[in-house]
Amino acid sequence: MAKFVVTTNAITLNGTDISSACARAELVINAAEVDTTDFGSAGWTEVIGGLKSGTVSLDFHSDFGSGAVSELFQDLIGTIGTVTLIAGNGTAASATTPEYTAEVLINSFTPVAGAVGDLSTFSVSFPTSGAVSYATA
Amino acid sequence: MASISAIRAGIAANLGTVPGLRTSAEIPDNPSPPIGIVNLDNVEYDGALNRGLTTYNFQVTLVVGRAAEREMQRKLDAYCDTTGAQSVKLAIESDKTLSGEVYDLRVERSTSIGSITINDQTYLAAEFTVTVFA
Repeated sequence: MAKFVVTTNAITLNGTDISSACARAELVINAAEVDTTDFGSAGWTEVIGGLKSGTVSLDFHSDFGSGAVSELFQDLIGTIGTVTLIAGNGTAASATTPEYTAEVLINSFTPVAGAVGDLSTFSVSFPTSGAVSYATA
Repeated sequence: MASISAIRAGIAANLGTVPGLRTSAEIPDNPSPPIGIVNLDNVEYDGALNRGLTTYNFQVTLVVGRAAEREMQRKLDAYCDTTGAQSVKLAIESDKTLSGEVYDLRVERSTSIGSITINDQTYLAAEFTVTVFA
């Protein structure tokens, strides 16, 4: 595997492939900082990892066609959905194209956006719920 | 999505709904005005993952007629209007999916409105920028 330009990452939502409507995908996994600084820290702060959390951010091109991405999100607000993201321009999980799976809370959707003359797009950012899994096969 | 040739032909077909206007999906050797000629300017790939969106920018060159003829300016005005049967923008946007071949298109602007020289003749002309999402 080498460095690569992102062109064909595979994204699904509840099993529906939404890659061709998606212009940007990002999964961020964080661990909270828990302060353990004490009198023995020699004047430095000390931290350990706390609870983990994640965020899935996606940019889409609006499409209200039957089964298309805007219609897909319409009925999912407030529900938990399953998002899979295959990195490295892959179409299936492998060592060089790992697949991340996350349960996310679909807590926002912007059905109408854009200025006159612009391509209609919308962006979403969902918090993960539970563990983010990682598969290479 | 559609091939470039199909998109070009679709734009020419829409343009052909302007009464009295000849169209060409390719650059003719000896254009006979009034004629609209569809040229591909540039292509922007990978607007979405998995080749989900390609943006094509076309230039439609409209050659109205000899600059010396008095009524040519009025004809050019009508072609550049946003309303009326002679409106190039209205005609090209009359079927914005080109019969389902593309997602959408838009005539963004008309530029280079003025005279051009073809085969030692001076013609009035204008260029229309057409953005196609496919």
